[in-house]
Amino acid sequence: MAAILLQAADWLFVIDNMGLLLGGTVVTIALTVASILLGFVVGFPAGAIEVYGSDRARRVVEQIGVVLRGTPLLVIIMILYFGLSISSSAFVTATIALGLRSAAYQSQIFRGALQSVDDGQLEAARAVAMSRFEAIRHVVVPQALRRSVPGFQNEFTIVLKDTSIAIVIGIGELLTTGQNLYEGGQSTAALEIFLAVSLVYFVLTFATNRSLDRLSDYYAVPEGTT
Amino acid sequence: MTQPLLSIDDLHKSYGSEEVLEGVGLEMDQGDVTVLIGPSGSGKSTLLRCVNRLTEINSGRIALDGQDVTGAETDVNELRKQVGMVFQDFNLFAHLTALENVTLGPKKVLGMDAADAEAAGRNHLEQVGLLEQADSYPAELSGGQKQRVGIARALAMDPELLLFDEPTSALDPELVGEVVEVMRDLADEGITMLVVSHEMDFARSAASDIVFLDDGEIVEHGPPEQLFQNPTADRTEQFLSRLHAHEETA
Repeated sequence: MAAILLQAADWLFVIDNMGLLLGGTVVTIALTVASILLGFVVGFPAGAIEVYGSDRARRVVEQIGVVLRGTPLLVIIMILYFGLSISSSAFVTATIALGLRSAAYQSQIFRGALQSVDDGQLEAARAVAMSRFEAIRHVVVPQALRRSVPGFQNEFTIVLKDTSIAIVIGIGELLTTGQNLYEGGQSTAALEIFLAVSLVYFVLTFATNRSLDRLSDYYAVPEGTT
Repeated sequence: MTQPLLSIDDLHKSYGSEEVLEGVGLEMDQGDVTVLIGPSGSGKSTLLRCVNRLTEINSGRIALDGQDVTGAETDVNELRKQVGMVFQDFNLFAHLTALENVTLGPKKVLGMDAADAEAAGRNHLEQVGLLEQADSYPAELSGGQKQRVGIARALAMDPELLLFDEPTSALDPELVGEVVEVMRDLADEGITMLVVSHEMDFARSAASDIVFLDDGEIVEHGPPEQLFQNPTADRTEQFLSRLHAHEETA
């Protein structure tokens, strides 16, 4: 059975079209990196506001977060592109949609990490005459960032694979490029193409998670009581 | 005479309907070592935390060097440059080495350049006998070592007054001695210290004043020999005898 499905000719077809798949991969990577960065730039302050902000600021941020996390990504993209037409560039629109949705999730990663740092750390920093902002910046945030790596690895993986939804506004990223190769009956290599595409996703995920582990180890400090 | 370094007058503090400090008054001169004793819940730590405004008071007056501590116009960060604090649970910055713990305040708050702060930081670590542990992280240190770094961190800001909030209570008994020894050295050097502690050894040998606090008020205040040998209040006597009984069983 497997032998029939995984035919040598079909693998040759995949190899012949490797250039196209790599092109799709580049789009996927670009979209992921841009979205994760936007998500960090917006999500980190949002998480900090949820922990340290005034009641009012906190409520506003929380409510926006609930809406973003509760709306399907597909709907967010469609609203931004066809409804609000925030940009004529599909790539920019997809980045904003993925980035804002990621910000809503990243804010929760950072909120949890900031809250996990013992209150005594902030108090000790205040006692050496740091302002609240300085104390958070120099003492709490460096510890919180270290603790947010596992959650961040998850978030990266999710955004990476969710980039495929960008097809609804016409972006040919990795999965779509693969799909286009066999659709319309040009080839019978559907399974082989999907396996190849999955392999690329796996390599990207694996490499990124490993890099983040390395980064985490590099900045690691011994754990225990302080 | 010159004005006292610290003067506390008719201090009141409540948490909700629970009044923790009920009109406390206290004065300290430069170089004084005042030890606050009293039962758990008597308000000792609250009193200490009011002095550097980690806790805000309800009414009364605190002055440091004649400057109002609790006024609305008082810059709390300027105040805290003058008042160091050592915590029961150490609260060392977990992501920083011992030396970095000591230099963070001078660098970020006093604006010292890195080289000067490090040189001074090493001196302070040497003062508490921990120069060799300069590059260790808090989790790699024993409790006694952590607390000594905590003391060095407070000293590094060159404060006028050092507050100690039960500095040996979280330590294993065999580690208490090294911390007490450092504190006694500081007392000998003339550093003004306000200490919440039941470490009788330290209180007897280093304190200039003992203050017995119970139920939010000062019951008795005097030099150690008088207060320990001839307490005037029954409550003081009862408390001391319980403390002695505990010391003997420990």
